Amino acid sequence: MSLQKHLDAVKDSVPHYWPIGTFIHHNPLKGFEHLNFKEGLEQAQKIFGGKVYMEPAYYLSLYNEGKIAPKHLEENLKYMLDKTDYAAYVQEAKKFILDISPKWESLRNYETLKVTSLDESLVRYLTEHSIYNDHDAWLASLCKHMTLYEVHDAIFGTSEKELIEKDTIEFLSRFLDQQQTTLSMQDRDLGMFKTFQLYEDIDYVTDAESYVHEVLEELKVRDPQSYFLTHLLKLHGWAGYIKYRSGDKDYYPQRVHPSTLMDYMAIRLHFERKYMHKEEINNFDKLDAYMRENRSYAILKLLQSKGKLTGTYNDALEDKKDFDQILSDYISEQISLDALRIQQVKEALPELARALPKFCEFITFLKREEGFLWLKSLEDTYIHEHVEAFTQSHTYDEKPFSATLFCLDVRSEVIRRNIEASGPHKTYGIGGFLGIPISFVPFDKSHQLNLSPAFIKPHNLVFEVPVEPHEEYNRKKKFSKTVKKVLTDLKNNPYTPYILVESIGWLFAVKLFGKTFFPKRTEMLFKKFEPVKPKTSYTLDKLEPEEVTNYLKKLYHDIIKEVLVTQSDRVYSDEDIDALYEHLIFGEPLHVKISQSMLDELIYAYHITPEDYEEQKEKLMKVGFTLEEQLTYFENLLKTIGLVKDFPRFVIITGHGSVSDNNPFESALDCGACGGNVSLPNARSHCMIGNKPEIRTMLRERGIDIPDETHFLPALHNTTTDEVTFYDKEQLDHEALQQLKSVEEDFKKAAHLSRMERLSVLPNADNEEDIFLKTMDWSEPRPEWGLARNMGVFAGPRESIRHLKFENRLFLHSYDADIDTDDAEILTRIFNGPLVVGEWINLEHYFSVVDNAIYGAGSKVYHNIVSKVGVYNGNYSDLKIGLPTQSVLLEGKAYHEPVRLLTYMEAPLEKVGKAVENSSAKEFILNEWIRPVIIDKEARKVYSYEYGDFKVIKEF
Amino acid sequence: MLYDLILLILFTGLPWYPLLRRKRSVKREHIFLLSALSVLIGLLLSSLTGDIVREPFVALALLFSLFVLYSTLKTNNLYKLGTQILFFNAPLLLLVEPHARLLYGVSLLLSLAGIYMMAKYYERVYSSANYYSVTGITLVTPYAALFLTIYFTALALYPPFPNAIFFLEGILHATVDPLWYLVTIVIFFGNFLIAVRVMARTVFGKPNPNIHYIDVTPKERRLHLLILIIFIALSLKGLQEVLA
Repeated sequence: MSLQKHLDAVKDSVPHYWPIGTFIHHNPLKGFEHLNFKEGLEQAQKIFGGKVYMEPAYYLSLYNEGKIAPKHLEENLKYMLDKTDYAAYVQEAKKFILDISPKWESLRNYETLKVTSLDESLVRYLTEHSIYNDHDAWLASLCKHMTLYEVHDAIFGTSEKELIEKDTIEFLSRFLDQQQTTLSMQDRDLGMFKTFQLYEDIDYVTDAESYVHEVLEELKVRDPQSYFLTHLLKLHGWAGYIKYRSGDKDYYPQRVHPSTLMDYMAIRLHFERKYMHKEEINNFDKLDAYMRENRSYAILKLLQSKGKLTGTYNDALEDKKDFDQILSDYISEQISLDALRIQQVKEALPELARALPKFCEFITFLKREEGFLWLKSLEDTYIHEHVEAFTQSHTYDEKPFSATLFCLDVRSEVIRRNIEASGPHKTYGIGGFLGIPISFVPFDKSHQLNLSPAFIKPHNLVFEVPVEPHEEYNRKKKFSKTVKKVLTDLKNNPYTPYILVESIGWLFAVKLFGKTFFPKRTEMLFKKFEPVKPKTSYTLDKLEPEEVTNYLKKLYHDIIKEVLVTQSDRVYSDEDIDALYEHLIFGEPLHVKISQSMLDELIYAYHITPEDYEEQKEKLMKVGFTLEEQLTYFENLLKTIGLVKDFPRFVIITGHGSVSDNNPFESALDCGACGGNVSLPNARSHCMIGNKPEIRTMLRERGIDIPDETHFLPALHNTTTDEVTFYDKEQLDHEALQQLKSVEEDFKKAAHLSRMERLSVLPNADNEEDIFLKTMDWSEPRPEWGLARNMGVFAGPRESIRHLKFENRLFLHSYDADIDTDDAEILTRIFNGPLVVGEWINLEHYFSVVDNAIYGAGSKVYHNIVSKVGVYNGNYSDLKIGLPTQSVLLEGKAYHEPVRLLTYMEAPLEKVGKAVENSSAKEFILNEWIRPVIIDKEARKVYSYEYGDFKVIKEF
Repeated sequence: MLYDLILLILFTGLPWYPLLRRKRSVKREHIFLLSALSVLIGLLLSSLTGDIVREPFVALALLFSLFVLYSTLKTNNLYKLGTQILFFNAPLLLLVEPHARLLYGVSLLLSLAGIYMMAKYYERVYSSANYYSVTGITLVTPYAALFLTIYFTALALYPPFPNAIFFLEGILHATVDPLWYLVTIVIFFGNFLIAVRVMARTVFGKPNPNIHYIDVTPKERRLHLLILIIFIALSLKGLQEVLA
């Protein structure tokens, strides 16, 4: 097996990391989704360590609050025990879970040990079954997932880890930099390993894989695959980012500065060899020999490095006493403490008449299962409450004046409810990219944004183009860009900051004090200087091949002309330029007099080559949609949400985005279904398509009759302030504008009510004004709660749940099973897009709250932006994956309630089955990484998918 | 000469401390108390006679001090560390004039009284005064972290704690010669390094999940508060003297 295959076999253990600029919520344990949820979590825990469930005390507090129903806890406990010899002891097990387990750690008490006599049979049983009997196995388990240098540091007290990780991070942050620094690393286009060879002066020809092979040989690594995993886990954030880059060939930084995980491995191993070289014990053979000879000492030092030795043993180690004796004392004490704990549990459960060794087995089993037991009981309680509410019938027969499409995002729930309550309005929910994946190039930007879920690659390019004069805007924009660039250059240059601070440093005080003490006024002041963006439209229609050719010809002509005018003394005619173009692109003979250096300049500096022409052509061919594509996307949109008849006067399609200041995680608050971007362009695109007469004619032929007076209007929902802003209003006539006014008034009322509702859960906000302040406060770590507390998704008609309050906790997707095909194509689309995004968001939150140190990003307070790809702690650390504590915790306690995504689908069981079968989400659905619940109104039954089977949980 | 020798013995613990520290039968706590008593007697004696110590004795203390500094790297036990901090400061106590010696010595003993109480607390809660495994206490036992931070910040010679003020006063009034430079540099940076090493390990960082943390009791807090009040009083006295 090649080294590459060994690496490929373990690389999925670390999660993908997308750059923070387009924060993608994801399941950090995606690599384990081929396993059942419970089993996957067990595996992950063995690899990453840490926690995968909340502490028992947390669940107990929910139980005491009534959020976990005793009935469901007992049911799950019974199901669990039925598979064992302890089926008769449900009540005892319940008592253990409720009363004893939360005190589990305190039962291992040194003071009590001194005054308790231990049962000999129990001590014997624990001794026989402990790993302490086999020192080799114990040593191996202690060294698991430890590199050579880590074991060396632990045993000999060296600090090689710090040096190796620091050097690795320093190289990575410089190589992977995306213009955060002004002093970029040279020769990055050679690729990561080749650049590293120059960086570290490795002066012989080799490739990353051969180099890795060479170092592994030198370090005497016996199992390369396991050692690769060990190394990947050391900085799994950086490894995850490189893994993502290397898998996305279209990612621009990867195209210009290629990197692979094998390069990364070569770098890590290089530093390991470099620093270990000077040590006496510098390979695994020598290390093993040393540990064989000094087994007790090695075990003790490893235990000490893991913080498992108490002060007494640390003192004994310092005093260099007899190490065998110290270890023997330690083992004896550990077993005694374990025995003491079991004995105390036994005393608290006298009714469980089993011999202590058997009792110990039972308690160990309960302890292993309790995390999942609590989690499932909590989920079951919610499921039963929800199902009860969803199956009550409500009818709404008023004809709506407007219908508004919101993203299914949990943050839409409150505003949707309030809009519906404020007037004759109906709302729908759908994945924020609205089923239309686009690469969008904003009018004043040169880069494209992929407005679709991260796993869908858009094939259509949409440009935003101005439709009114914009010279003033351009001028102001150019000026502010220049000022910004000059200031940045002066700030980052090694010499100029001294002069900069002395001369104009005081100018920054205006912003510093203004934003700190008068954020609102300062914001208003700076807004005055901001250029006003002109009205724009989108290039939605496909370009004809002839148009593409003409456009490219003009583009290259302009470039050639510009170069020749600025760099040549000779005057060239239009014919000459045309001849040059024909020569450079199509290889026609050249009859124009021009120097070879000038030709080289055009080819190498300005890339006027046939390859570039083909690339540009391919790009331009992607611009816009054919009419058929437009029709399909729009029809799918309407059918997905079930809006195919009774169209109201206005159909408002809203995108959403968040506003905050000084927040590297801002994109995590934008639309997840649009790859962490604002989803307004998708909304505007659909509205432009929907308002086209030819599209309506074609839709009529397909049975969807949109009245002429119905107008599709785009809007943007600001999730921080709950304001809804309408766009493209200039397309409305006077009468329509008057009618829209009442809608706008209702939306304002709804926004006010939504803010008031959110105030009760938002810290440091006493009134509406505070909510607005959060958008401009640069010290605010929590501008909004975002997607925290998300718990489920509902796919079905709005009428089924319109009467319920979900407090921004449910993703709401509109779906009408009656208009879906027999193959459940619509539901499959929902599974393939929104459900995948929902699962990623849900599990990202789950793991970030369960163990923020491993799966989260830690506190924002310590974060620094690195290389413009992410954040790390202090001046160097691993790239922080997951969510910061401020997004999931409140005053150190869990604000987000971690449960799997409770996925309610109002559809016949058969249709859901077909959708699951055809969906790319099949694996995680069937492996129960979500909790599917099917509300089959035809069969009048509710099914829950659990333990690999559909179970009827309610008949109505 | 005899006076110099007695002070050297009392302030450095020579030769009894190097011998006693190897005896496993003698508890670290007792050695710590004995050292404190030794330094206290030295301070009282020097305040009675009021003589300056000759340079060779200061130089000898400095050599021993460097050895002690090295030893502090080898221990994580607060009793042992307290004793070493005390003897590490011996060259400064011998270098400065008696009045400053008394004030700096009292501040030092007071900081170490705080460390002693923290050692007692560690022993009670974590079975030993060894702090190696007791990491990241700031996040879990904030009172314990606060007191330990104050004592080690004082020992690290940060103003406005009295140690720093009396250190400054002492060196300002001492005769400046090459030995003065050596002692000042070694004591200033040495104290800082010892304190920072302890704080980096036990006060900061991540808490150890294998440990059940318990904070200092209200009674202990009151005692620490008392030490802090004396600290403030000494700082005020120090400021008064420096300004005078």
